[in-house]
Amino acid sequence: MPLALPLHRVVVSGIGLLTPLGLTRTASFERLVRGESAIRPAAAEIGRWLPQALSADVAPAFAQQLDRNEQGLDRATQFALLASREALADAGSADWDLDPDRIGVFAGIGLGGATTGEALYTRMHEQLQAGRNPTVMHPLSVPRLMPNAATAAISMAHQFRGPSHTYSVACASSAMAVGEAYRTLRHGYADAIVVVGAEAMNVPGVFMAWNALRVMARPFPGNPAASCRPFDQARSGFVLGEGAAALVLETAASAQRRGATIYGEICGYGSSSDAQHLTLPSSEGQYRAIRMALEESGIAPAGIHYLNAHGTATEAGDVVESETIRQVFGDHADRLPVSATKSLHGHLIGAGGATEFAISLLAMQSGIIPPTAHLEQPDPRCKLDHVLGQARHGQSLQAVMSNSFAFGGSNVSLIARRFA
Amino acid sequence: MLRQIIKDFVIRQFSVDAAVFDRPDLMVADLGLDSLGVVEMLFEVEDLYGFQVDDPARYAGMRFDDMVADMEATIRAANNGLIPEPASLPGKA
Repeated sequence: MPLALPLHRVVVSGIGLLTPLGLTRTASFERLVRGESAIRPAAAEIGRWLPQALSADVAPAFAQQLDRNEQGLDRATQFALLASREALADAGSADWDLDPDRIGVFAGIGLGGATTGEALYTRMHEQLQAGRNPTVMHPLSVPRLMPNAATAAISMAHQFRGPSHTYSVACASSAMAVGEAYRTLRHGYADAIVVVGAEAMNVPGVFMAWNALRVMARPFPGNPAASCRPFDQARSGFVLGEGAAALVLETAASAQRRGATIYGEICGYGSSSDAQHLTLPSSEGQYRAIRMALEESGIAPAGIHYLNAHGTATEAGDVVESETIRQVFGDHADRLPVSATKSLHGHLIGAGGATEFAISLLAMQSGIIPPTAHLEQPDPRCKLDHVLGQARHGQSLQAVMSNSFAFGGSNVSLIARRFA
Repeated sequence: MLRQIIKDFVIRQFSVDAAVFDRPDLMVADLGLDSLGVVEMLFEVEDLYGFQVDDPARYAGMRFDDMVADMEATIRAANNGLIPEPASLPGKA
């Protein structure tokens, strides 16, 4: 099929958030702005073996929104379904005049079906120990744990019959899903795409695997909620979160026909690979992704008014990221507000990119920049305009950037600007 | 008991009308389950008694009560002619 020209403008018309901070977009963002951390000691089944373990979990009340069939799905798929439902309602998708064949579903997920997979191996182990036949497994185990379970569930629930893609790029998964959905719409292969990032892997086996990487935060003395401290001298790593974020992307023409509220226009997407190290970041790779996004947007570095950093609070990650920001933005880095919201909602891995891009759009819409919590003594190697302690209100943000840098060396940069 | 376990599950999971099970000539196919639905139904019993049905496709053309009898025979064959109490099986909470 030849490319459909001219290129279409792509906007975000709906946002759904189901995060450790809250079960809705508004609840999540308001708690973020208040600087209230969702980080806690991990569940007892994990803490039993790892007494120092911390996590940021979604409140159990989320399950009350699920119908009987949805209760059997993997936890990450449940999160994805609920977040996409909120985003679609927010976008007013009931009034869409679009052909369902032209509506797609794109997802980003780090470790698809982790909860189902953990249950499967736990069951097999228990059956073997009890001398029972281990071959009896639930027949829906595979369709529940496959990484594209979320796109399948969403497309079936809403009868969206356009392209459905799943991106698994560790911490950059759902940022890439946003970027690729933007390109798909921009080039005319669809009219609207629901993009969702989802992750749920705070189960003992997976958690212990993460613990073995030695990248997880230690409890901050006297205040476990303050344990994730991006860019702070006392940082000790990140905290595993879980949840989902969904964004409704559509062509500007479609949104305008309906008079939809537009959070912003996606105008830049960059993607690169370090090709250097499995887990250590590379400033050079990050720089190329950010430059690619900036060049596509046509916005000069000084035109970016807020940056949601990847900000994992690891020793290596924060220093490398600060170097990159300094290199891309030069002196503007002294006046570019940067916040690392993982300090409050934890690291949502596959859902992180979409969550943080959604937060960036909400910041642009509300004029409120959420803080990097618990950043009291910035590491001198991370000299940036940190949003310390409290949110900045009353900001006029014309364009925002969100960056995600993944294990495996994949880097994604997204830019949105006010729609005019 | 097996019949009741399967009946309860099918009514609950697939919203099949309970009155259907009063029909003496009820066929498995009358339940309207697709192939995935049939294996979900079988799992309810397999999970309780720790065995796996060979070739579930053969149930598609059977009477419902014949399917139940076939499953019961399979369980008895593996348990010295008895149907054990599911709760008494090792490893079953």
